[in-house]
Amino acid sequence: MAKDMTLLWGPGSPPCWRVMIALEEKNLQGYNSKQLSFEKGEHKSQEVLDINPRGQLPAFKHGNIILNESYGACLYLEEQFKSQGNKLTPENKAEAALMYQRMFEGLTLFQKTAQVLFYTRFVPENERHDSALKRNTEDLKAEVKLWEKYLQGTGPYLAGKCFSLADVIVFPVIAFLFRFGLNEEHFPKLAAYHNTLKDRPSIKNTWPPNWKGTPGQDALKDF
Amino acid sequence: MAKSMNLLWGAGSPPCWRVMITLEEKNLQGYKHKLLSFEKDEHKSQEVLEINPRAQLPAFKHGDNIINESTGACLYLENQFKSQGNKLIPDNPAEQALMYQRMMEGLTLIEKLNMVVFYDFYAPEGERHDSAVKRNRDNLVTELQLWESYLENVAADRYLAGPFSLADVVVFPNVVYAFCYGLSAGRYPKLTKYYSLLKDRPSIKATWPPKWFHIEQRSESLKDI
Repeated sequence: MAKDMTLLWGPGSPPCWRVMIALEEKNLQGYNSKQLSFEKGEHKSQEVLDINPRGQLPAFKHGNIILNESYGACLYLEEQFKSQGNKLTPENKAEAALMYQRMFEGLTLFQKTAQVLFYTRFVPENERHDSALKRNTEDLKAEVKLWEKYLQGTGPYLAGKCFSLADVIVFPVIAFLFRFGLNEEHFPKLAAYHNTLKDRPSIKNTWPPNWKGTPGQDALKDF
Repeated sequence: MAKSMNLLWGAGSPPCWRVMITLEEKNLQGYKHKLLSFEKDEHKSQEVLEINPRAQLPAFKHGDNIINESTGACLYLENQFKSQGNKLIPDNPAEQALMYQRMMEGLTLIEKLNMVVFYDFYAPEGERHDSAVKRNRDNLVTELQLWESYLENVAADRYLAGPFSLADVVVFPNVVYAFCYGLSAGRYPKLTKYYSLLKDRPSIKATWPPKWFHIEQRSESLKDI
C-alpha cells in the first residue's frame, strides 16, 4: 500500500506537511518520500512537473493516481483507508460540521499568513507598498485572534474532542506562525494547542527537518 | 431535514451557488433561504454576523451546525446525506482522487478569475500596477488553458471526474462566471461544451443566479483573455 505511494515535498511547507501527517495517521509509513528544495527551485524540476504540471509541492502519487492538492490528498487518504490507522472524521454530526468549517477556514489562515511572511517573495519590487504590507499584517493579526477565540470556545482539538482532518490541515499553519515568532503569552490557547500537538507521533515524526535545533524568526513577535 | 436548514446567500456568488446546487442534488429542496444584496452591504448585517462572524456569504446552518465555508458545506451535505439524492463523491479510487484534485483546483481557478475581474477590489487606488494587471491576465490564460486540457474529452456523464460530482459543483459555477464576464466561447471550446452540457441540469437550472455582481460595469472584463 504505502510502497505504491510517492510524495515529493519541501520542508516547512504546510501543504506538504499535511499530507505527511495524514499518511502517518493512517499507518501508511513506508511511502517513497523525497525531500526537495524550494530555494534551489527543485519544485519546478521535470521530476515534479511529471506529476504536477503546476510545478508545486506536494506532488503525490498512489500507483497511477495523482493528487497534488493537499486537502484532496488528505480527504482521499481518510476515505480510502477508513479501516486503518486513526479515524480523522468525527462520528458526531456537530463535530463533523465544525471539522469541515475549520478545515476550509484554514485556507484563509494560510493565505493571510503567506501575504505577510511571503510578501516580498510574491510581490515584485516595483509593486510593493508599505500600505499593502501594513494592511496584510493587520488582516493576519485579526485572523490569528479569531483562531485564538475558536480555541477558547472548543477543544482540545479544532473540531472539539477528537483529532480530525481540521487539525491535520491547520496545525502546520499554526506551527508556522509560532516558527515565525508568534508570542505564546498573547495567544495562550493557540500556544497550548501547539504544545499539545507537537508531541503527537504523526506530527513529531514529520516535523520539518530544517526547524529542528535552529531558531525561528521573529516577524510576528509584535502580534 | 431541509426544514432545519437555513441559507443566507447573494446573487452571482459561486460559493453560494455551490451550496444551492448541492442541496438540490441531495434532494434537500425546501430549505429556508434568504437572498441578500452585496450592493447594499447586507452581507455585513447583524443577521449574517450571527451565523458568520466573517460577514461573508454563504452563511449556512443545519440545526445548530454552522458551515459557512462553501466547499466544507458541500462535503458535509454529501457525507451526511449519502443515501439520498445523487452520489457526488465517486467510490472508485481513481475517480475519487481526480474528483478531489479538480474540486480543490477549482478554488485556484476562481481566485485567478477574481484577480482579473475584480482587481480593483484587491488593490486599492495607489497600489495598482499595469505589471500586476498583465501578470494576473497571463496567469488566468494559463489557468484556463489547463482547464481546457482537463476537459479534452468532455461529454455527457464525462465531466471533470466522470459522472457529475462535487468537482463539477465547485467548478461549474466558476465557468459560468467566466462566460458571464465576457470569456470568449470561440477561444475556449471545451469549456463552452462543458457549459452547454450542464446548464440545463435540474439542480443547476433551478438555482441559476438571478444576476451577477457589478455585471453592468464588468461584462466585458474577460473579453480579450
